[in-house]
Amino acid sequence: MGKRFAILPCNGLDKAYGPLSREVALAIAEHTESEIICPVLLNNLQARYEKTLSGLPLLVVDGCQTRCATKLANKLGIKIDQKIMVSEAAKEAGTTLDKSLRLGPATLKLAEEIVAGFLDGFEKKATTADSSAEFDAPVEFITVTHDKYVFKIPIEGYLFNENDCWVRVVGGRARVGLSDYMQQNLTDITYFEPPEVGRVIEQFDELGAVESAKAATSPISPVSGKIVAVNSALVNSPGTINEDPYGKGWIAEIELADFESERELLLDGSAYAETLKKKVADL
Amino acid sequence: MKTEASGGPTLVIPCSGIGKVHGLISREATYEIVDRLAPDTTDTLCLALLVTGDEEALAKVRSHSCITIDGCPKACSQKNVEMAGGQVTEAVRVVDAFKNHRGAQPGTATKLSEEGWTIVHEIADETARAIRGETTGGDTQDAQ
Repeated sequence: MGKRFAILPCNGLDKAYGPLSREVALAIAEHTESEIICPVLLNNLQARYEKTLSGLPLLVVDGCQTRCATKLANKLGIKIDQKIMVSEAAKEAGTTLDKSLRLGPATLKLAEEIVAGFLDGFEKKATTADSSAEFDAPVEFITVTHDKYVFKIPIEGYLFNENDCWVRVVGGRARVGLSDYMQQNLTDITYFEPPEVGRVIEQFDELGAVESAKAATSPISPVSGKIVAVNSALVNSPGTINEDPYGKGWIAEIELADFESERELLLDGSAYAETLKKKVADL
Repeated sequence: MKTEASGGPTLVIPCSGIGKVHGLISREATYEIVDRLAPDTTDTLCLALLVTGDEEALAKVRSHSCITIDGCPKACSQKNVEMAGGQVTEAVRVVDAFKNHRGAQPGTATKLSEEGWTIVHEIADETARAIRGETTGGDTQDAQ
């Protein structure tokens, strides 16, 4: 696959998902000739890994929801490039682990599947990142400036709520995400929990969760309808929201329920820019 | 989760030990003690919880006797347990066990050889005996 990583797994000891995260980390390291970072040694002696971390993108592998590896990277100010949460992957695979801390055949098979999924997904992401022609990324922007910060707002095609979330409508379907202002305000996003596909939501309902080193929040949906797709690539690469909030950083696609009446509560690019100017002036 | 009677179980805490065979030995020895040799009197704890300041983990090491098993001389487990305010009653070092196995080929960071498993069993047996008060812990050292 070509790309190498600095892989930071959680310690992975005393819960069933821990040893699985360790197994996944080691297998990816073997497949990609990446370098493993010992989380405890990193905490004690960061200089030991200075060269590795400056030369390779960081992949964190967390076992349980405590997310020690992510917390450690945040604590030490190390930017996370890719992320795997093995408990989520196990859930997606419909696998429940037993309580044993030793990996049995079923868990080892799951580890292989997680590794294959990561490697495959990474390759696909590299080759098909621009494949969504239906929801092309914007090309022209208005900007709102505050101190050293510049916030971009697409001129056309995007509507916003006052919660700094956008919606782009194509036919009866919409894509939603966070505004550039929101992602900059959060700083580096380290965690994304997608909303549930199939759930029917009302306008201004919450859409999953995002978390950064600075804050945790739930995106507020600008529209109502049924969630028909989520950007699952963000689970492993939540930083994509920072890199491309109006394009590859989209959060969910919604089959619209009542857009015509809901659009009255939304702002076009120009109106959102005015709202944003007032918002940042009050900071 | 084990019942914590008066004093509670002894915590056996290996280093993170990822990426090196010594670390794998430390981890496997811990599992052997906690799962098989002394399941009623020991428990383990994830070292990363101490590193990230988990309150429950910090309280646990401060209120239980701790045995640390470190793969290499950096002694990450012992240092972090002590920094967290825990009392390390035995500090086991995997490298010391190798003194009785000069030239041993213990395997890799992901898979132990037969020699590697032999060392695991030796460390685990010796540490379990120390927990039962039968020995002073062989290659272990008193922290205080």
